[in-house]
Amino acid sequence: MAKIELQHVNYIYGEGTPFEVRALDDVSLCVREGTVTGIIGHTGSGKSTMVQLLNGLSRPSAGTVLLDGEDIWSRPKDMRSIRFRVGLVMQYPEYQLFEETVRADIAYGPKNMGLSAQEIEERVLEAAAFAGLDPALLDESPFDLSGGQKRRAAIAGIMAMRPEVLVLDEPAAGLDPRGRDAILRGMREYREKSGATVIIVSHSMEDMARFCDDIIVMAHSRVVMQGSCKEVFSRSDELAAVGLDIPEISSVCSRLRAQGIEVGEGIFTVEEAIRSLTDLFAEKEKSKG
Amino acid sequence: MKAIAFGQYYPTGSILHRLDPRAKIIIALLYVICSFICKNVLGFALLLISAIALILISRIPLGTVLRSIRPVLLIMLFTMIINIFLTRGDTVLVEWRFVHIYAEGIYNAVFMMIRIFVLIIGMSMLMTYTTTPIMLTDAIERLLAPLKVLHVPVHEFAMMMTIALRFIPTLVEETEKIMAAQKARGADFTSGSLISRAKALIPILVPLFASAFRRAEELATAMECRCYHGGEGRTRMTALRYRAGDFVWLLGALLFCAFAVGCNYFGIGYTL
Repeated sequence: MAKIELQHVNYIYGEGTPFEVRALDDVSLCVREGTVTGIIGHTGSGKSTMVQLLNGLSRPSAGTVLLDGEDIWSRPKDMRSIRFRVGLVMQYPEYQLFEETVRADIAYGPKNMGLSAQEIEERVLEAAAFAGLDPALLDESPFDLSGGQKRRAAIAGIMAMRPEVLVLDEPAAGLDPRGRDAILRGMREYREKSGATVIIVSHSMEDMARFCDDIIVMAHSRVVMQGSCKEVFSRSDELAAVGLDIPEISSVCSRLRAQGIEVGEGIFTVEEAIRSLTDLFAEKEKSKG
Repeated sequence: MKAIAFGQYYPTGSILHRLDPRAKIIIALLYVICSFICKNVLGFALLLISAIALILISRIPLGTVLRSIRPVLLIMLFTMIINIFLTRGDTVLVEWRFVHIYAEGIYNAVFMMIRIFVLIIGMSMLMTYTTTPIMLTDAIERLLAPLKVLHVPVHEFAMMMTIALRFIPTLVEETEKIMAAQKARGADFTSGSLISRAKALIPILVPLFASAFRRAEELATAMECRCYHGGEGRTRMTALRYRAGDFVWLLGALLFCAFAVGCNYFGIGYTL
């Protein structure tokens, strides 16, 4: 079932001025409930503009945004409740930290929801665990943390609201491989424990292949492809046409096939490739022996 | 938020946009002086015609131009009323209890209105609408360059101004991002008592200041890495050069001034 749906959405910056820019052009898409959906596209393709429509931070110039089949702009006064249901982690969220302690900062969202102190404390600890934040750091000032720790603290601040839909805009940008793995695993854990729908914007095809069920490809302010990981990555020519690649391991596999080594088709992660190659190897050994 | 996006620069590529910014500053100054020198009907008619001509030449839509007048409309109205009721003269038009309205009052009010209107149109057509802030500071630096002899740090002032102007849009954008991020966490800036609204600003101001200091430090480092050491011996990427057209405009402004002075001196033009 569709958790979030965009119908013919347009978004224009600076409408009616000489600086008018069309950031979204007739965008329609559908995010299935309980899935991890990846959004890929080049810089300036409209991804970040699009995610800000999902929790009503900006209002589309035309078209509708549906959450559970209901227009989120049907009651604009009630927008706060939409924002608690659709948690958005913006790009470089570490710059939004402001409280004296990490604990207080993570509690900001739940406090705005009007929860009891006990409930808030419970959620802060839970969210910190999801984000992979050491409980000892909770009483530090957020400004004393390292870059990766700040990022995790900011993400925990959204997870603490227990949103039904968690939207992450480039959550791993500028982090080292270990940092990005920790954050993506935390995201997956949050989804498994809470059953939430996750939308994740990223540049990394590898991360997308590893974590996503569905993929939406954006280019030039439009949605150009939409489907399961397998469907999207099998259309490598079309991806290349909008300046995107398939995961590196997939192109390695297709070259191996071209060389006559029969690895399976539709391989998008290193783990799958290893499995396929070891199977192939075992078969060869058997036929020899 | 977008409304405070910096400056009113409105690119149309007209002659006014292409004038040398130094010439534009001088012309604007002369124009202001003219508007104060003019005292008679002929002078004010000329001022009004030139203001309209400036609008036409700039090719900026009339609606946009009129929007720049809206903020001072109240001041205009106020001066008009004061002038009508408080000017004493010889020709009485209305006499009712303590209210006396004289013909001179009406004339004064109209002239004052024209003067304010012309001042705003002149400044906005010559400067804000047609010149980017960076070009303006550049021109100010060049015009004030003679003061260097008196050890006035002209270059440093201009650099500070340029940096400040350069970072206004950046900080506005930053503010928007931080506001969006806190709204995503349920921040509410629009309801509640005054105190709770002021408190709601803390989650914006703290990150904003943190990022402003971070940016300042990064910029200083970047400038030092590129051996910036002040204005001495520094050349420019876009050197300002006067062209024939600039002199024509300057001459025009000077003639206007001379004419206005002449009118007053010889008593030409219809005066009351």
